[in-house]
Amino acid sequence: MATTAIDRTRRMLSLVTYLRERPGARVDEVARAFGISEDELISDLNVLPMCGTSFRGGDLLDIDTDGEHIWWHNADAVGSGTGQPLRLAADEATALLVAARAVATLPGLRDGDKDALLRATAKLEAAAGESAGASSRLSVTFEAEGGVFAVVDRAITERRRLLIRYYSPGRDELTDREIDPIRLFALGHTYVEAWCRRTEARRTFRLDRVARIELLDTPADPPPVEPRDLSEGLVQPAPSDPEVVIEVGPGGRWVAEYYPHDTAEELPDGGLRVTLRTPDPATLRRLALRLGGDGRIVSPPELADSARAAARAALDLYEETP
Amino acid sequence: MAIAKAERLMNLALCLLGTGRPLSKRELRTSIEAYIEVASEDAFNRMFERDKDDLRELGMIIETVESLDGDVGYVARRDRNQLPPVTLDAEEAAALGVAARVWQQARLAGAASGALQKLRAAGMPLAEEERETYSALEPRVPAGEAAFEPLMIACRDRRPVTFAYRKGNAVRADTRQVEPWALECWRGHWYLAGFDRDRGAARVFRLSRIVGRVRSRSGAFTTEVPGQVAVRESVARWAGEHATGQARIRLRAGSGYPLRARAARISAVDADWDELEIPYGHGLDAWLAEFGPDVVVLEPAELRADVVDRLRAVAKG
Repeated sequence: MATTAIDRTRRMLSLVTYLRERPGARVDEVARAFGISEDELISDLNVLPMCGTSFRGGDLLDIDTDGEHIWWHNADAVGSGTGQPLRLAADEATALLVAARAVATLPGLRDGDKDALLRATAKLEAAAGESAGASSRLSVTFEAEGGVFAVVDRAITERRRLLIRYYSPGRDELTDREIDPIRLFALGHTYVEAWCRRTEARRTFRLDRVARIELLDTPADPPPVEPRDLSEGLVQPAPSDPEVVIEVGPGGRWVAEYYPHDTAEELPDGGLRVTLRTPDPATLRRLALRLGGDGRIVSPPELADSARAAARAALDLYEETP
Repeated sequence: MAIAKAERLMNLALCLLGTGRPLSKRELRTSIEAYIEVASEDAFNRMFERDKDDLRELGMIIETVESLDGDVGYVARRDRNQLPPVTLDAEEAAALGVAARVWQQARLAGAASGALQKLRAAGMPLAEEERETYSALEPRVPAGEAAFEPLMIACRDRRPVTFAYRKGNAVRADTRQVEPWALECWRGHWYLAGFDRDRGAARVFRLSRIVGRVRSRSGAFTTEVPGQVAVRESVARWAGEHATGQARIRLRAGSGYPLRARAARISAVDADWDELEIPYGHGLDAWLAEFGPDVVVLEPAELRADVVDRLRAVAKG
């Protein structure tokens, strides 16, 4: 993520306050405290000697580093007014308070963690003063199944295997599987990323689709895997996945909002032609049935056929069941 | 360019924070290298106004003081600009660390780390291994649409906006004039609640349906912002979360787990079929159609007709 000039100024102002209290601070520790790389810190330290209250008068910050420690030689003479950090801005208070309130409402959060979060939120509200007001303009709700969440959280902490009964909407079936959980994350819904012992592969499970969960005594033993990069979204089809083409009318445009797709071309009637890829096109039969008159599967033809056949079979049942 | 600008802002901040008396624009122009280098007075004035706005984004309160001879001076008074004392223990610090990582939206992610850095400068302790001390959870809020940032600022500053909006089933977008109240993220999607001026009523908008740019309008709000904005309730109603009645359906044995999970009553009809009573709300017909030949709606008749219509359309297709 690119750092803007505003972010960087904010960081350097806090850095000056931090360094004032800590002569000879270690580069690695300061970088960790500020959540930045050592290179980023060094580049800030290269800018600070150009900053001060008077360019012509030479009143500039005399801060230097040997790459290991940081020294500020004229802290008494220059940079007065930086003895305390700057008050929190509205956006800063909003970013922390809204996130903290959202995390605190997650069902299944450990009591100790929740207490710490609520204490921190209260202190932050007090410290932010009037800047805290803007945080009421923004809110986030995470969905989580409290009981399931708590069991998964415990399994991760105690490194134990789980037995879950999991619902796959695409196939409308429940399957029992043993999983070694790796991490929990919330992205709209709450998910557990795990090594699935049935498929011997990494899988992501949505907690509200877990019908039953049991903590096993077997130690979890997931092979070392890089956690998935979530910045690109949860569904990341492979280039080799089969392609599905769906045409929808105006009433089916929501498909483009809910299904990650490669292209969505506008159609003359106000509809869309959506092209997407999925490892298992059969799971989209549900979508075709749901769309009714608002859309249809163009390809693959087998998928369109299977949706038609399912609809006919259902209509036959309605004939038989008055 | 980013370095040059951060350096300039840093200099202006140090001048305004460090001074005991208001500094005139002329004094600042001659104290800061980047300002000295700007040849034209107009360009300097524009730069200076932008820089003050940028420092205000960081939380700085810059006061404008007029002196007896009419000269305008600027100062950031220390007592108004300092973070009040705040003492956080290691657990609280770790909790805020998890919260700060929630944002994937660049502006809020930057603001969250900026806030942590200010707290760090105020002495907030650094946990030994932050991740290990907290629930094994990584909550994330999706970055959201291009409309997010301008709307967030408009909600914050209470500025009316206009944007083109295409309703879920509409062919074309129409222009909305809105007094934005609040943004809410629910099930991974962002929604805006506000007062729709043309409709003269409160409305909820989904950000992914905003087309093109959000434009901010001058002038004040014409209606009062409610204390509580019920974005989620209004969205949930459309998502069919609020049942208005009961439906009776037949469900093939072994299938339709989510229907079973919300059923008020389940009884076996024979070896192949069960009968369920489930809550009936907006959108149930579309959902039941998904199950194809595994569901038969018994009543109400209106729901049965809606599902049959959908199935007929697919059978013909």
